[in-house]
Amino acid sequence: MPDSMHPPLKTAWFHILLALADGAQHGFAVRERVEARTDGSVKLWPATLYGSIRDLVAQGAIEALEGEDDPDDDQRRRYYRLTPAGRDLLKAEADRLQALVDAARGSRALAEA
Amino acid sequence: MTGIFVALFRGLVGLLPAGFRETWMQEAERDLDRAMAEARHRRGAAAASWVAMRGCWDVAGALPREWWRVLTHRDGNARRVGLGMGERIMNWMRELRLAARTLARRPGYATTAAVTLALGIGATVAIFTVVNAVLLRPLPYPDADRLVAINHHAPALNLPTLNNSAGTLNFYWQEADFFRSLAGFDTQQRNLVGGAQPERVEVVAATPQIFDVLGVQPTLGRPFNEADAVEGAAPVMLLTHASWVTRFGSDPTVLGRTLEVDDITTEVVGVLPEGFAFPDPDAVVMLPLTVDPDGPFGTFGTSAIARLAPGVTLDEARERTTQLQSRLTDFFPDLEQTFLDQAGWNVTVERYQDFMVGDDVASALWVVFGTVGFVFLIACANVANLFLVRAESRQKELAVRAAMGAGYARIAGGFLSEAFLLGVGGGAVGLALAWGGVRLLTTYGPQNIPRLDEVAVDGATLAFAVALALGATLLFGAFPLLRFAGGALAGLLRDGGRANTAGVERHRTRNALVAAQLALALVLLVGSGLMLRSFQRLRAVDPGIDATDVLTVGMSLGEGVENAQAAAFYQQVADEVAALPGVASVGLSTFVPIGGGSSNGGSFYIENEPRDEGALPPVAMYKAVGADYLTAMGQRLLRGRDLTRADWEGGAPVALVNKAFEDKFLGGDAVGKGIKWDSAAAFARVVGVVTDVREINLKDDPGPWAYLPMVVGAWGYPHMDASRLLIKTGHGASVPVEAVRAIVARLNPTVPLTSIRTMDEIMSQEMSGLSFTMVLLGIAAGVALFLGAIGLFGVISYVVSQRTREIGVRVALGARGEDIQSMVFRQSAKVAVAGVTLGLLGAAALTRLMGAVLYGVSATDPLSFLVAPALLVVVAFTATWLPARRASRVDPVVALRAE
Repeated sequence: MPDSMHPPLKTAWFHILLALADGAQHGFAVRERVEARTDGSVKLWPATLYGSIRDLVAQGAIEALEGEDDPDDDQRRRYYRLTPAGRDLLKAEADRLQALVDAARGSRALAEA
Repeated sequence: MTGIFVALFRGLVGLLPAGFRETWMQEAERDLDRAMAEARHRRGAAAASWVAMRGCWDVAGALPREWWRVLTHRDGNARRVGLGMGERIMNWMRELRLAARTLARRPGYATTAAVTLALGIGATVAIFTVVNAVLLRPLPYPDADRLVAINHHAPALNLPTLNNSAGTLNFYWQEADFFRSLAGFDTQQRNLVGGAQPERVEVVAATPQIFDVLGVQPTLGRPFNEADAVEGAAPVMLLTHASWVTRFGSDPTVLGRTLEVDDITTEVVGVLPEGFAFPDPDAVVMLPLTVDPDGPFGTFGTSAIARLAPGVTLDEARERTTQLQSRLTDFFPDLEQTFLDQAGWNVTVERYQDFMVGDDVASALWVVFGTVGFVFLIACANVANLFLVRAESRQKELAVRAAMGAGYARIAGGFLSEAFLLGVGGGAVGLALAWGGVRLLTTYGPQNIPRLDEVAVDGATLAFAVALALGATLLFGAFPLLRFAGGALAGLLRDGGRANTAGVERHRTRNALVAAQLALALVLLVGSGLMLRSFQRLRAVDPGIDATDVLTVGMSLGEGVENAQAAAFYQQVADEVAALPGVASVGLSTFVPIGGGSSNGGSFYIENEPRDEGALPPVAMYKAVGADYLTAMGQRLLRGRDLTRADWEGGAPVALVNKAFEDKFLGGDAVGKGIKWDSAAAFARVVGVVTDVREINLKDDPGPWAYLPMVVGAWGYPHMDASRLLIKTGHGASVPVEAVRAIVARLNPTVPLTSIRTMDEIMSQEMSGLSFTMVLLGIAAGVALFLGAIGLFGVISYVVSQRTREIGVRVALGARGEDIQSMVFRQSAKVAVAGVTLGLLGAAALTRLMGAVLYGVSATDPLSFLVAPALLVVVAFTATWLPARRASRVDPVVALRAE
């Protein structure tokens, strides 16, 4: 696994991996899921979205499927899905974040708040 | 609005590296459309716009990132699909890098080409900067193209241009509705007292309309109003921005303060805006000009500037002003139409800028500009030749590249990239040279160029330099492209690099280029020959005075001093200066030959010769002189006697006239006759005849002049507010100006000294316009000749080296050295003859445009047209001699073995 495949992950990468955790999606669907999940606070604009997808594919965290028709607009789109390595990566990042959250909850400042 | 962002988004995506764009970004545009549709659906059109904008921002941010990946080769596995805009730019950068490396391997060639270009571009840009500032850039007033100057001419009266009189101003104010407004103005010298030292300054007096005409308002205070300009109004003035800063330290409470202008206490009512310099930057103060509403027709001396009424063109204004002249006699009952007709009365209305610059300066500048344009073309031709040589010597390499699949476009791109680099390098150095050149020109250039203070390298100059550099690139970069166009590449490998005798064809382009260079050089040679001859002619002109060892010093009492009192003061100063050691004699005059001052002129009466009704009266100029004027100026007395001290002390009405005056009006026998100008109270007796002196300028024949004592009986010379001392010293001696200043200060501490110059300086300044043009043309012609000679030398040397084998064969077959030499010379002669023929045709066509800057020599002066080609031929043969000698010494054994 290359260096960049270790946590911490770039925010965009984490959200893309998370969006693909329930199954294969095309690029625009990834964007919409991320936006919905974060209440619009994270928006993946095209060059960032596809640049990250390109990087994740290159890293072997996700893979591209052959084009399928998108039921929403009847256009052929490319779908992406997590690889086992990608799933591991997502889990490792989630664990790291969990540890951070636990640490914060345990601290006195937040406990008193 | 949204559409713009969508288009921008597409454009930006197009700039991404093709690998990323084609493989990953195909759905990006669809995504943006959908995101926009949803935003519009949920939150309206503005939200959709915002989405598009945000998308653009995102792609713009990705551009450097993605290109960095490509450039650092981290994206090695990306597929290359088609050439996008970004690819093209990157390819081009790569091509430029390659070209830079190629050039760096041949530093001599690259330097020669770039320096040649830099010289051509630098000279052209420098002169363009001057031409632009003086001739092209409009004056700094709103709609400056609608400002016109109105002047009158009466050629038959032998007077210089008549501008306007109170009468003509009133006439136009009343009659000329095609001018929106018209103002009269006049520059004057005044004594300004407001600080420690009295100063003689230039002021402009203008009628209140000037603000409307120029479209300018004071930044502080108020403009003049009509009440300021009536006779007897309280004296008021406006300060220029510069004098406000220097004299009053930008004090905002300056309004209401007073200055003494010629002993008249004058109130400051306003400050003019910064940069306002009307009519020129020397004027430091503006005063209201009073025009008598009943003023006479005939007293000229006021300039007129007008703004055209809306919708009126310059041509219309010109035509209607001319038509208006027929009404002059209705307006002025005393004026006879026959008088106007005989005087050749006419009016000119011209763009104020053209009037201000003047034909002489304009045509001199255009000639110089054309000249440097030629040098630029020659430099381009030279670089083109260098380029061709390079292209030919790279044939083998090009053939190999062609064989390996490089297309014409690729090879052409290589040449253009090299040309581009040279153009940019030459342009940059050229711009630096131009900057230095402009500073030299403004410091040492002739002072008679108006607006010289406005000359500076600016945006227009930069644009011009860029255009020149790119033009040059295309000019010389195109030659090798033509050379290899149309399948020539295929043939390259076949005979690639071999010295073959079929090369004649190949040299045709280069021969043509050299012939063109020689032709251009010849045009410049003829031009500078003409200038040299003009200069010689002007140098040979006898001004009628002895200008050596004469210092001129102006001094002024200001207006409102009695003639007799003024004359006594000036003469007292002159007498005391004459007593200084080393001084031979001291003359006095209101007017210095060529150097200017106050002179007068007009029609006059000759005693006992009644004027014919309707006939033209005699007209002549006159000036006032003091004792010893003739001695100090070296002007000779031909007959009669000089003016004596007793003449002006007693106010005796006497005068001197020059030979031209005597011959024209007094039947060759002047002494004893009486003359009286229209404004004079009594006849003055002519007591002597003096030689003709060129008083106004060196170019024109001296006209009829009279010399009057400063006080002439009951009347006197009208303008005694200022006078000039003419201090003649012994040879090599000099008069300390401080000694003169001390004498004046002791006699009257409020009198300032002005225009302290030697007569030699005055004379050389008079020549400076011509000598400036001549020197520039001479330098240009020299550079052109040199470049042309180098070009010819290069071509002939190259031909000889290419034909070494053939020459070897000829020698082996028995040709002698002389035969070989004459063969080479024939080759050179063909080029030279073509160049001379073309050049003579060009010179004949172009030197006619120089008419206005030539003096005493015709534009088709046979001597210049003979000497210049002869010189060119001599240089051409000198340039041929070396390669010819080398050819004649070719050793057949060595030459043939080389193959």
